[in-house]
Amino acid sequence: MVIRRLVGRWQGMVLSLIGIVATIWLGLTGQLALYIHPRYFVFTVIMAVIAGVLALAAFALVPGANDAPDGGHTHAGDAHAHEHDGDDAHRSRWGWLRPAGSVLTIIAAVVALLILPPSTLTTATVAQRDLNGSASALTLKTPALPGKGDYSSFTVRDWASLLRSGAGQDFFADKTATVTGFISADTTDPNLFFVTRFVVTCCAVDAQPIGVPVYHPGWQNEFKTDSWVTVTSSFHANPNAASREAIVLMPDSIKPTTQPAQPYVY
Amino acid sequence: MALPAVDKRKQPEHEHGTPARALTSKSAAGLVVGLVLVALFAVVRVLAPSTSETFGLPNAARDFATLSISVVVESLPFVFLGIVLSIAVQVWLPEGMLLRRLPRSPVLRRLVLSLLGMLLPVCECGNVPLARGLVVKGLTVAESMTFLFAAPILNPVTIVTTAQAFGWNNGILVSRVLGGFFIANLVGWIYSRHPRPGELLTARFQETCNVADHDGGAAGRVRRSVQMFSQETRAMMPALFIGAGMAGLIQVAVSREVLVALGSNPVWSVLALMLLAFVVAICSNVDAFFILSFGATFMPGGIVAFLVFGPMIDVKMLALMRTTFTAKTLLQLSVLVALCAAVLGLAVNYGH
Repeated sequence: MVIRRLVGRWQGMVLSLIGIVATIWLGLTGQLALYIHPRYFVFTVIMAVIAGVLALAAFALVPGANDAPDGGHTHAGDAHAHEHDGDDAHRSRWGWLRPAGSVLTIIAAVVALLILPPSTLTTATVAQRDLNGSASALTLKTPALPGKGDYSSFTVRDWASLLRSGAGQDFFADKTATVTGFISADTTDPNLFFVTRFVVTCCAVDAQPIGVPVYHPGWQNEFKTDSWVTVTSSFHANPNAASREAIVLMPDSIKPTTQPAQPYVY
Repeated sequence: MALPAVDKRKQPEHEHGTPARALTSKSAAGLVVGLVLVALFAVVRVLAPSTSETFGLPNAARDFATLSISVVVESLPFVFLGIVLSIAVQVWLPEGMLLRRLPRSPVLRRLVLSLLGMLLPVCECGNVPLARGLVVKGLTVAESMTFLFAAPILNPVTIVTTAQAFGWNNGILVSRVLGGFFIANLVGWIYSRHPRPGELLTARFQETCNVADHDGGAAGRVRRSVQMFSQETRAMMPALFIGAGMAGLIQVAVSREVLVALGSNPVWSVLALMLLAFVVAICSNVDAFFILSFGATFMPGGIVAFLVFGPMIDVKMLALMRTTFTAKTLLQLSVLVALCAAVLGLAVNYGH
């Protein structure tokens, strides 16, 4: 009974505090980018701080904060609410279900938001969402071609857009790309892998994978999927004419690297 | 009317022995409990190991966690904003300031309410606490539904992003805005004819409505604001966390290839995209980009159905709205909105 009372009353507050602490910590350590688009950073942190102040004020001012046995009658809304959870008829037998569910929710929130290390999406999501299948991620922002030669600022997204736009081999002949991303395997050709990034428009939920194909037979022996690499190479025709990718990178060497601070592109 | 209310509030303090001192020490104790919890959570967060390798989770499990956390982190500030606005409307706005200015005729009232989203650019998750606040203030249940369903679509941010994504192509923008407006008002009209609208609400929320009409001075208002914050988070947070978990799980588990494969058929594209909208539970502000990113394979009617149905009904919204409406009401609403969205989508597909 006491547990049910406590859980019913404080579940919302505790979940809020978990969310607030996690959000502010992500903001302070610069890891919010793993979950949401940078344009929301300021708003998210400000709302977390405001909510934190309100939550602490609620602990101080809302009666019952410290298990006071009285204090119920002046605030009927608070005192009654937990009594009427669910169907009264089922309370005796199934009454434990709701507090048990509440406790589970809190445990799940602690594990997900406070214990698990923040992480990017992985190749499991690349497989789930069609790589380079997204029209907007590639065409909404067609890169402006720089005047003569300097493509060093081009990202995976820019190159993937150009490749998809159907520019011919002549166009790529004299160009060198330097791209950083994580490795995802090509579904049909074992000699190919993609230097992959996710394009995020709002939060990780809408992330769309894009990638530049790299021809490197035996790459599986050197690298694991999901590991981050930087590839510098010029473009060539794919030796395997049957492959879906006509133009590929053929690097002499592939440099392993660490996950950048902003793993998604926007 | 103000005098008796003040009296009511002060009476209990006289009954208890030394109210002021007891209250202060209680407050201090409560504050300490809160601070200890914050410190505890912060310590756990900072001390938790920092590489995911230590947990050895498979990729799918990691992505499930990442997607769910992403929904929580993205929605949380909007839910808080909605709660703060709801508190402002209930406690700090002069009585009737908002509602008294609405037209008298029920139809006109709903028309104006569906445009309220223009002034309050909150995401749909923030609309639920706000709508609850408006109902407590005297909005009818049917009117709150109109507001809930219209606001995420008739919202400046949503309209701008939809225009950016689709321009005037295929009438997608126009169908979305007008369709959303029409469906929201239709739902409001249907439920305004309900003989006992109170029964549409959960017992718990009805109670919140009944006790919410005492008033006080500035100090009483601060207290009530804080109390309301506690009350609303109690309703919203579990719903948000559970909704986020479901959204993450479904995204990892359901193959989208099937949905995409269905996308080029005039009938199936509508149904498949509505299912997709229900499943991904994405904010209305950005869903236009999201659906655009699935490639050009979808029929425009399917896209319209996605853009109209998604902001109104999805897994996360159902979890949040369950705090307020009964399960039966939500089922009816889902079916009604789904039918309307499907008809709209089919009309767009076959009208071209």
